Amino acid sequence: MSQKHRIGLGVLMLLLLVGAVLGIDALQRARSEKDSVGEVVLTAGSVPIYLDGKLVAGFQPTDLEHLAKVSFVDPAEGKTQEGWLLRDVLLLHIKRSTLKATMLISVSSSSRSKSAQVTWAEADDTANWVMFDLAGRGTLKLVSVMDKLDSRDEWVQDVDRIEVTNP
Amino acid sequence: MRQRYFSTFQLILLAQFAALIVVAKIALRLPLQLSGHSGLFWMAIMIVATGVVPKRGAATVVGLTSAILAAFLGLGDFGALDTFLSYLAVGVGTDLILWLLGSPEQPVIAALAGALGHFAKFLVKWALAGVVGAPMGFVALGLLKAIVSYLVFGALGGLLGALTLAALRKAGFFAYLAERK
Repeated sequence: MSQKHRIGLGVLMLLLLVGAVLGIDALQRARSEKDSVGEVVLTAGSVPIYLDGKLVAGFQPTDLEHLAKVSFVDPAEGKTQEGWLLRDVLLLHIKRSTLKATMLISVSSSSRSKSAQVTWAEADDTANWVMFDLAGRGTLKLVSVMDKLDSRDEWVQDVDRIEVTNP
Repeated sequence: MRQRYFSTFQLILLAQFAALIVVAKIALRLPLQLSGHSGLFWMAIMIVATGVVPKRGAATVVGLTSAILAAFLGLGDFGALDTFLSYLAVGVGTDLILWLLGSPEQPVIAALAGALGHFAKFLVKWALAGVVGAPMGFVALGLLKAIVSYLVFGALGGLLGALTLAALRKAGFFAYLAERK
């Protein structure tokens, strides 16, 4: 086989692999597109938000049009974390008057069996940078500069649930 | 006595390249908010390694060694298994494509090997996310953007590797290596 053919075969392999990944992803999205729970419609990849056990909304990609992108440099690793503040996400779906300073916000990942809790007062303080960073594989990761959430082990990767509860 | 596939000298060289990948991953912080941007130096080092030790399996040895180092140093956001397999995949992927394409000293081959080798890492991360039941990507276009980013930085890294190999050849490094074997 000539070198030209080998290169062509390599490019073809690459295109097939990329096509396979995108095809499988599209298939998965189509299968789970628009799950309705009561009046709340959850699109594929969206993160459900519960208020005192009741599903009130889903954090979905269309929300990003209404959210400001923020970033900070993680002092431990010197890595820039860029995304959307948890505070802004919640305020998009829950009235500020409903949220009390002592309310507990639990952000969790079922696939990683991890969760983190912050109070509304902590999330509302922008100096804490309690925010979602978009991970390389497209899922959300909760990060912050707060002591309890400032290292890789404490971050919550692959977030798939947000719960707001009264303590 | 049966001759070993890799000489001790070659294994030391490959281990150094593996260590260089891990050190670069820790120390180099490119201010780019794009996934897979580390492929720029990662694939450059990998391609140089396969040029300096031109034997099948050289990239896998670098991948395996860097995988062990990275997993023990706690690199990566998604745990030791994810880190180990994704670092290993870069090596295996690069070896497989170079097996088909031949010498990485040609820029086109190096770029293609860089792109495919780096994409192997993406594939492993994506597959593992499916296995552990990670939620679907938040942004639908995020996956395509990540794929393009991985391929571009991998190809650029491969190209950088080919240029480095050419510079090393010009400097007489390969003649020096031939004496050391």
